[in-house]
Amino acid sequence: MKGHDMLDCDAVMRQLWDYLDGELTRDREAAVREHLVVCKRCYPQYNFESAFVKALSASRRDHSRPAEIRERVLATLRAEGFAA
Amino acid sequence: MAWNKKGLTRLVQKIVGRPDDVRTPDERFRDEALPQLDAVARYAVSLTRDESDADDLVQETFLRAFRAWNQFIDGSDCRAWLFAICRNTYLRSSKREQRVIPCEDAELEALGAAAIHASAQQDGLEDMFVRHDLLAAIQRAVDELPETFREAVVLVDLEEQSYQHTANVLGIPVGTVRSRLFRGRRLLQESLIEYARDAGLAKPGSSGAAEAS
Repeated sequence: MKGHDMLDCDAVMRQLWDYLDGELTRDREAAVREHLVVCKRCYPQYNFESAFVKALSASRRDHSRPAEIRERVLATLRAEGFAA
Repeated sequence: MAWNKKGLTRLVQKIVGRPDDVRTPDERFRDEALPQLDAVARYAVSLTRDESDADDLVQETFLRAFRAWNQFIDGSDCRAWLFAICRNTYLRSSKREQRVIPCEDAELEALGAAAIHASAQQDGLEDMFVRHDLLAAIQRAVDELPETFREAVVLVDLEEQSYQHTANVLGIPVGTVRSRLFRGRRLLQESLIEYARDAGLAKPGSSGAAEAS
């Protein structure tokens, strides 16, 4: 025994997003991981969701003129008395 | 609960600030708030979906943050604090009514993901996010999400905020963040699978593949 119960597929599916987002307690996370590595049914879905979350995270768009917006913000702050 | 000296010192520092911090408030603003400018600018673009509107929003956000700097709790998450100001400013300026969309239970949403995965498998699209460059399609799908769900997806998936910080920014309970986030992800996946089918990315022979002419 490692201090936690083995989870079934249903319980793992309910917690899969929390697992991928790093929102589970360490014990819960270990229990989900333990299930995923041996479960032929859950592992493919974990792979799919994990790739999706990575692709989504890589899709964020930076501001195209970061230096310009920084200058504008600083000018506004200085007019307000900002002195650092 | 008994406090040890270290714990007590940390608590006092949290409440009254670090006694050894000799920086002026402006210097602390420079060191803690200004480094978040790129993240706030990105968040502002995702709210307004327009860069020139976002520029005004970023400017206003930092002005409000500077004026309220004495309210910022030393040691708390400055990025989440700025995101909350940015969002409030945006909601106020656009006079948007936050439409409450009834949302299913987060647990049900999480289980719904299994059905989407099954449909992707059926169409031979289970590795679509690894095999294909879907960047533009993903950005478009995020832009088209209903605002309630987009907000949660942007903060958690794009800005890598925790559920708790997202809840603080949006002023909603963590459970609501989970259900909106999971629903948002489900809607994104549905729309991207549809895109992949239309784009002919489904494997030949699968049910989603285009008919051979």
